[in-house]
Amino acid sequence: MTATGTSATGVTGVTGMVLNIQHFCTHDGPGMRTTVFLKGCSLRCKWCSNPESIHPKPELAYNLSKCIGKEQCGACLSACPESAIFNVDGDAKVRINWDLCTNCGKCVPGCPPQALYLFGQEMTVEQVLDDVERDGSVYRESGGGMTLSGGECQLQADFAAALLAGAHERGINTAIETAFNVPWSHVEKVLPHVDTVLHDIKLTDPAAHKAWTGVDNTRIRENIKRAYEAFPNARFIARTPIIPGVNDDEEHIRATLAFIRPHKNVVDYELLPYMRFGESKYGFLGKVYEMQDFEPPPPELMARLRAIIDEAFGRTPGRAAR
Amino acid sequence: MNAHAKRIGLNIGGGYVPGINSAITGVVLASAELGWEVVGIRDGFDGVLFPERYPEGGLAPLGAPVVEMATAGGAPLLGNATRSDPFRVRRLNADNTVQEVDRSGDLLAGLAAAKIDAVVSVVGPQALSILFRLHRQGLAVVCVPTSVENDVAVTQLSFGFNSALSFAVEMLERVRQAAQATRRIGVVEVPGEHAGWLALQAGIAACADAVLIPEIPYDLERVAARLRRKQEAGGHFGLVVVAEGALPAGGERPDAEALATHSMKAALSPGATGPMGGHVIEGTGRAAHAVARHLQRLTDRTTSPLVLGPLVKGGAPTAVDRQLGLGYGAAAVRALAEGCSGVMATFQPPDLRFVPLGEAINKVRTVPSDSLFLQIARSLGICLGESEVMS
Repeated sequence: MTATGTSATGVTGVTGMVLNIQHFCTHDGPGMRTTVFLKGCSLRCKWCSNPESIHPKPELAYNLSKCIGKEQCGACLSACPESAIFNVDGDAKVRINWDLCTNCGKCVPGCPPQALYLFGQEMTVEQVLDDVERDGSVYRESGGGMTLSGGECQLQADFAAALLAGAHERGINTAIETAFNVPWSHVEKVLPHVDTVLHDIKLTDPAAHKAWTGVDNTRIRENIKRAYEAFPNARFIARTPIIPGVNDDEEHIRATLAFIRPHKNVVDYELLPYMRFGESKYGFLGKVYEMQDFEPPPPELMARLRAIIDEAFGRTPGRAAR
Repeated sequence: MNAHAKRIGLNIGGGYVPGINSAITGVVLASAELGWEVVGIRDGFDGVLFPERYPEGGLAPLGAPVVEMATAGGAPLLGNATRSDPFRVRRLNADNTVQEVDRSGDLLAGLAAAKIDAVVSVVGPQALSILFRLHRQGLAVVCVPTSVENDVAVTQLSFGFNSALSFAVEMLERVRQAAQATRRIGVVEVPGEHAGWLALQAGIAACADAVLIPEIPYDLERVAARLRRKQEAGGHFGLVVVAEGALPAGGERPDAEALATHSMKAALSPGATGPMGGHVIEGTGRAAHAVARHLQRLTDRTTSPLVLGPLVKGGAPTAVDRQLGLGYGAAAVRALAEGCSGVMATFQPPDLRFVPLGEAINKVRTVPSDSLFLQIARSLGICLGESEVMS
């Protein structure tokens, strides 16, 4: 992220790396929302459904089914300075040698069917907010707003803070989705501008957390606890992606409840069943999807685990807080 | 390349294959003849990139006395890395964030600090690209090709293949005996994601009834018809060899979900890439089970799938692989002595030659449609599952 100036209403000219702006989202906070996905993540969860969000910079993707072939086009073959795009005898379409690709993007402009494209673009705060504000009436009617997601949106702390502050100035409700695996200094910049914080608690055991996400959860838990206490006016909603065989046990749910319940600004605890949404994107990025043998958790299991949460929150089973 | 290299780093960039110790021995003995020193880099490039992981040091001295004590089929003289990519090293930062970083500069600096003038790298087709990239950054390197699938381009024979072939043939003969005794159809899967050399040559050597390879989309009705004819003639058993990347004509196996992989070979393979761009080889064992299950339906006879998989990569090397490993190792040193760098040693009978790495990457050596081995198989009546038999 780069900053080029400030104004009375916040930072202007600030840019950040944006993956996507998705309108009319219903699962990323209260009401109907626009979710802004920021690039870069500090975890490597094996079940990640947004692998295109991990790399902090623009990253090449290739959808082979869209390639019209060397005979009709072949522009990328000469455009690549790294010998990373090639063609094999007897095959019409081009191939990518991901070990040689440097994500320079020189192949992208000359690809008519957009089989080659870059995930991520640099945008200013104003560009993002102008796009978000298009749905202002929807937010007002539904109680929605803007949600920053990722990747880990707090990694781009200055950009995220400017976006959130700018949204508030435009009267837009704010939320973030975060795993809190960032230095506390980032949290201090971002959270003053957030109305609702949706944060993950993926695993309880530090060693298991490291095995499945790449880092242990010591600092994450410290950050979460500290955030609960430092930002009493924000609404916190804890979340766990339920991965069969990894964290689908009652013990993890009860341990998480014990962690969050003493804090009154934690208004809910949501369970998100593992889905294989991101699988095809791994192929487009030349990455390995390590969870091919994992199936979504059965509905009965989800219901049983959610009943534990409902009981802890003292509400009728099946009724969420929002 | 520094034509006066005196200290060579040697590393193993792929998994173990029979003949590794012979290749190491070839490098060490040929270097000793020139008065050069050889040090092994542990576990790919990890010995240089992560020396703190090795209390005994990331570099292992490899003198003539060391290799003379070793046997060709014994424990490997040097550890390997299944994947060693200094351009994308996952790092846990001090602030607890995970990041992939380019450590190629650190690697080159580490090699220079260890006074390593050049590297001989024993690698399969995937790691060739990484060595090519390192060479473009200034690394003096000579590669030695290894592959039990014999799919490294430009060379006629990678070491490891002959040993895998011998083992596969022995297993096929055992399966045939078992199938004969139990009146079943044995379906044996051998490695070969994109190249069917191992399946084809082993199938010929064992006189299999059918061989299915990635280069020829198969029609199991053809295989079933072949087995029916055999049964009518009194043959109550069958032997089918299938390469793990073999696919039915018309696309993906019915049970195959699109699957991504970082393998360069996945990007290379027309046959293994589904219509949506996903990689359709799901892993060892799927091909044998799919073929066995469908053949059972088509023939109404019991089938027994067996997966050789990584078993072919173990064991002692054959005489061919011992000679080839020694020859490749010695040739790599000769390349450096002649001032060559950024090349791969290749066997182009009757010569061992050097080709630029740029000519070896982005290719897989597959079975061509006019292959002599295909002609032999057809002449022997081995069914290749072709929808329309080509001759």
